[in-house]
Amino acid sequence: MPHESAPQDFFAAAEAAVADTQLRRKLENATGRHLDHVAATRAEFPAYEAERDASRRIKEESIARLDELLVRLKERLEANGCNVFVAADAAEARKYIVGLARERGARRVVKGKSMATEEIALNPALAEAGCEVVETDLGEYIVQLRGERPSHIITPAIHLSKEDIGLLFNDKLHIPYTSEPTALTAVARERLREVFLAAEMGVTGANFAIAETGTLVLVENEGNGRMSSTLPEIFVAVMGIEKVIPAMADLSHFLEVLARTATGQKLTTYTNFISGPRRAGEADGPREVHVVMLDNGRSAMLADPVLREALYCLRCGACLNVCPIYRRVGGHAYGSTYPGPIGSILSPSLFGGATAALPFASTLCGACREICPVKIDIPRILLHLRWKETATDKGGDGALPAPEWPRAAERARDGVRTFSRMARHPFRTRVLGRMAALLMWPFARSGYVRWMPPPFSNWTHVRDFPAPRFRRRRKARAKIEAANDAAKA
Amino acid sequence: MAEFHKLIANVREALEHQVAAPTHNGEAASAEAVPTAQAARRVELASQFARELQAVGGHFLGTPTPKETIACVLEVATALNARSVAVGAGIFIDPAPIVAALERAGIEVFRTAPVADDAARAVLRQTLAQCDFALVEADYAIAATGTLAMLATPERPSSLTLVPPVNVILVSIERILTDLAAAIAAIGAEAIASHRLALVTGPSRTADIEKRIVLGVHGPRELHVAAVWQGND
Repeated sequence: MPHESAPQDFFAAAEAAVADTQLRRKLENATGRHLDHVAATRAEFPAYEAERDASRRIKEESIARLDELLVRLKERLEANGCNVFVAADAAEARKYIVGLARERGARRVVKGKSMATEEIALNPALAEAGCEVVETDLGEYIVQLRGERPSHIITPAIHLSKEDIGLLFNDKLHIPYTSEPTALTAVARERLREVFLAAEMGVTGANFAIAETGTLVLVENEGNGRMSSTLPEIFVAVMGIEKVIPAMADLSHFLEVLARTATGQKLTTYTNFISGPRRAGEADGPREVHVVMLDNGRSAMLADPVLREALYCLRCGACLNVCPIYRRVGGHAYGSTYPGPIGSILSPSLFGGATAALPFASTLCGACREICPVKIDIPRILLHLRWKETATDKGGDGALPAPEWPRAAERARDGVRTFSRMARHPFRTRVLGRMAALLMWPFARSGYVRWMPPPFSNWTHVRDFPAPRFRRRRKARAKIEAANDAAKA
Repeated sequence: MAEFHKLIANVREALEHQVAAPTHNGEAASAEAVPTAQAARRVELASQFARELQAVGGHFLGTPTPKETIACVLEVATALNARSVAVGAGIFIDPAPIVAALERAGIEVFRTAPVADDAARAVLRQTLAQCDFALVEADYAIAATGTLAMLATPERPSSLTLVPPVNVILVSIERILTDLAAAIAAIGAEAIASHRLALVTGPSRTADIEKRIVLGVHGPRELHVAAVWQGND
């Protein structure tokens, strides 16, 4: 399947994305707005930190008891009248869902927003089997019309401006051009309403699965998940095995933090609880409910004591919005269903291949760890993955031999050592600094050093330096010394 | 400064008067009237609910008595220029007088009932998709987030609050709870395991186009809520 993991080099893709100033403007705009909302909502909810700690504790416990909880969840779901299928990998999950559609003669499939179905590349598989698959989340609908993949976990069309979308609707839906979000949304509502009323099968993900009652919880704003799980006769939910939590009483802690971090809302518009098919006399709800429990690399993550923590992820998408890398390159550069900091952890485990390089696409600044609603130590896991990737013996049991450094890394290490020796002596630092400045000075053009001959070109290729300014430094030093003297006196 | 203290004393005294009055219209308390402290608490929760509902784009219709509710609903219907309405069965609030008033106003009323077969289901879907608004009672409301909890039953199908373009929701004022945890506890794990539950916080919305909020993507684009004060007519 070409969609499963696009073998692309992050660093090449990132370079192209950085050059796209339009994309950068859109990303800065959207992610910035998100962060403002999040900060405002949190500020007026004093219990946020307490709820965050509670969520973290429940996830720790849930993952530690994953075996027991999954057994209980499966029992309860089946007792409620659901069919449960356990899929070891993406291929098994696809095969089950495609087989189901074929067996029941479902030709029209509606999809609520779901990362898990993106992960298993369900759409092309259903299309191949002759089904018409329509994404019904507005953002997903837009990227589907463009023949693209979502570039953000919760805002799939974050890389597009309203003008882009206006042109797209004009082209694909044959409506007069408008870039007004309200008008565009109204058009999508009308088109998708027909699709919902006609579809035989609905597919969504699940945000939480409650073991105690056998209940799936779906969190959303538009109503597409609710439509997909209410109107069609057959409903399929694809859930990663890490979504299970013990009891109904645990749920409110997550709901109190999830929307606040994901979108800056207190609660999303719809929180849907689905425990089974409709009962006698009921008009709504599917005749059949199928729950696909998806492993697809998750149990291998569980086996690694450091990586395990990544299974706490709620898929809120906040770490993408704070990430200085994501904000520059956007989601598509990652070449994976899951972009951004958490994606750089999940992708190598779930997809392998070229995504193994993603843990290196981080500055380790820690902003992701700060915003994470369940406090996942993302930088630590990224370092762990880098270490695993560079180690010669890829055991994966957490007890790896010391990695054999590649030559570039060795040189970098030596460089840092030399620098630290030098930096310990102020006089030497000053002299060497002055020498470097003299060396750079002839290459300065309009305030910047953008090019130097080899071997320094390695450096100037990726960075522009401010031109050395001798006089001001002396003045600045004089100022500091004066301040120091004043402090002493 | 003395002036200020005097003002504050006056304000305090005035406030005490208000709370001491047993009902809105100053009549003697009836046998059903709730104790004052509890009534104050209800008003507090209702006003918090109203604030939060409005913050997410909903409209609060106040805390009418059952009689006043009829006028409330008619007003919305008139503003919408509605010709047809779908009405779900009541829980604590009897919708019959409202239905009668709507019919008198020339509005076609469709009352939801358990469906026997696929044909009845198709009729219901079509009706809900074409009606101008739906009137239904919520099981609970959550003050902290402006949320309505709707448990689906054969008489009150889930699609009532999903398919029609506008929703008018009634909730009994004593069913407004403080927060999410309280609501989930009140509904109970058993009820959730056997019914479909939807927590609805404002009209359907999206921010998928440049993070701009647009209401009414798939679900209702307008949400009106009245917190009905029972036993106060």
